[in-house]
Amino acid sequence: MIELNGLTKRFGQVAAVDELSFTVRPGRVTGFLGPNGAGKTTTMRLILGLDVPTSGTALVGGHRYQQLIRPLRQVGSVLDATAVHGGRTAYDHLLSLAVSNGIRHGRVRQVLELTGLDSVATKRVRGFSLGMKQRLGIAAALLGEPPVLMFDEPVNGLDADGVRWIRQLLRRLAADGHTVLISSHLMSEMALTADHLVVIGRGKLLADAPTQSLTEAGARADVLVRSPQARELAELLTIRGAAVKVEQDGGLAVTGLDAPAIADLAAAHGVAVHELVPRQPSLEQAYLDLTAASTDYRASTGPRSTEATR
Amino acid sequence: MTAVASRTDEPGVPSLAARALAELAFEWVKLRSVRSNYVTLLIAAIATLGSTVLVARAVSAASAPPPPGPLTALSASFLGYAEYAVIPVSVLAVLQFTSEYATGLISTTFCAVPRRWAALASKAVVTGACALIAGELLAFACFWLTQALLSGRHRGVSLAQPGVPGAVAAGGFVLCACALTALGLGAIIRHTPGAITATLAAIYGVAALCLVLPSQWKDDLGRFTIAFAATQVVALHSQPGLLSGAASVLVLVAWPAAALLAAWLVTARRDA
Repeated sequence: MIELNGLTKRFGQVAAVDELSFTVRPGRVTGFLGPNGAGKTTTMRLILGLDVPTSGTALVGGHRYQQLIRPLRQVGSVLDATAVHGGRTAYDHLLSLAVSNGIRHGRVRQVLELTGLDSVATKRVRGFSLGMKQRLGIAAALLGEPPVLMFDEPVNGLDADGVRWIRQLLRRLAADGHTVLISSHLMSEMALTADHLVVIGRGKLLADAPTQSLTEAGARADVLVRSPQARELAELLTIRGAAVKVEQDGGLAVTGLDAPAIADLAAAHGVAVHELVPRQPSLEQAYLDLTAASTDYRASTGPRSTEATR
Repeated sequence: MTAVASRTDEPGVPSLAARALAELAFEWVKLRSVRSNYVTLLIAAIATLGSTVLVARAVSAASAPPPPGPLTALSASFLGYAEYAVIPVSVLAVLQFTSEYATGLISTTFCAVPRRWAALASKAVVTGACALIAGELLAFACFWLTQALLSGRHRGVSLAQPGVPGAVAAGGFVLCACALTALGLGAIIRHTPGAITATLAAIYGVAALCLVLPSQWKDDLGRFTIAFAATQVVALHSQPGLLSGAASVLVLVAWPAAALLAAWLVTARRDA
């Protein structure tokens, strides 16, 4: 179990992690979601005692990480899979970690087999692909058979097979009663892997709910409308009580009226409609809605105004 | 290695000694598993012995015996050692921390050993022990080579003479002192180029500055530098104005102690 209580980390004026409180429970995969720069990695570094919190606490199994004796037997983590010494072999890298926490040597061979690295165990890490380094990181995390596992963007650099492998591994670990926290900025990946989601933006908690309920509650269905007279149509729709949002490509996202009603309204006023698409809510959309206000880096929305005013 | 691991594999809360041994084993496995460490040491040894032979031949070929002063028959043994052993070993020591900061491996190290002082201490013990062994081996090899070449001209000194074994052993310790100073600076500065520059400045630069000071200050300040102290510990008779051999050993202890203390203070508080 991982418990965060009012966890805050400030870098100067900027709060990278802002009064974050949530609990990661055993027996399920918890997805830790947020746009780039939301504070996911910083939160994980605070949990691992690598960074010192400005205020608040992060406890693993009821203890601060620094208080753990033989911590690799309590918490397995991968923050940055590329953080290995290129001149060391995979076996020696894992052996050094095993001896550091009094883990029996035989466990090194086991995790190498488990992660499919046994054939390259005596190769130096310098020649490893990103995917192989991810596997090495996961091998290191599993070395001490810890009850708590924490991975930062574990599917980065993995091919389709690798992604499926890690998804199954994480689900199996959770089913065995492990506490599993994985961060990602990819909603689609989390939808497939996580039972529970913690969503943050700009260091603040946005949602802490089962994946299922987040899909249902977060997003509402809307209708995408494209028209050469978008502005006119938008005014008509607003008068009828619909909510209209102009999307980046000039399309109108309409809520409050269904597709037939929009089509009828357009026909009655002689407005041409080029596209009319009812859209179902998706987890992706729920996530985008949640994080829309908290995205630090967003692509410019320049072309939209010229399209809309035509 | 096996003994260490099996002893720390007991269930329950491990003793402090078992944890310390495990942390030392961690650093030792990391040190011995990188091939470039051996290559660097080997090249350093060859360069040291080679330059020692050249110096000894030059001294031996000189028509007059060496004048009294810094360049005695004894200290001539260490002219090659003072650079070709000290520089590469100090750079290796710097890299113990800076290479981990550069790759990000330091996070893994601190995850495995969250008590920062313990991580620093185990690196210092392992690096210091290796540097001491390498230093003693090289110091005695340099001494033996030089005296073998000088003895033909009856200018050599022998280990049987009083003070000589201690001086050669102290010469070996110089390598350990420089390595630990370098390790501390690496932990503080974290970036390889900056830490190497700082290390070379600490070992040679400060002393070089003292040499160009007005003469009354030169020795007053210079005697507290690593380079002056190293010259004193391998000299059989201390030069006037400088510290005695024993006091110079203390100077050689104080530099790494200060560097490691500062490293401990900085590392304990800082985000990794």
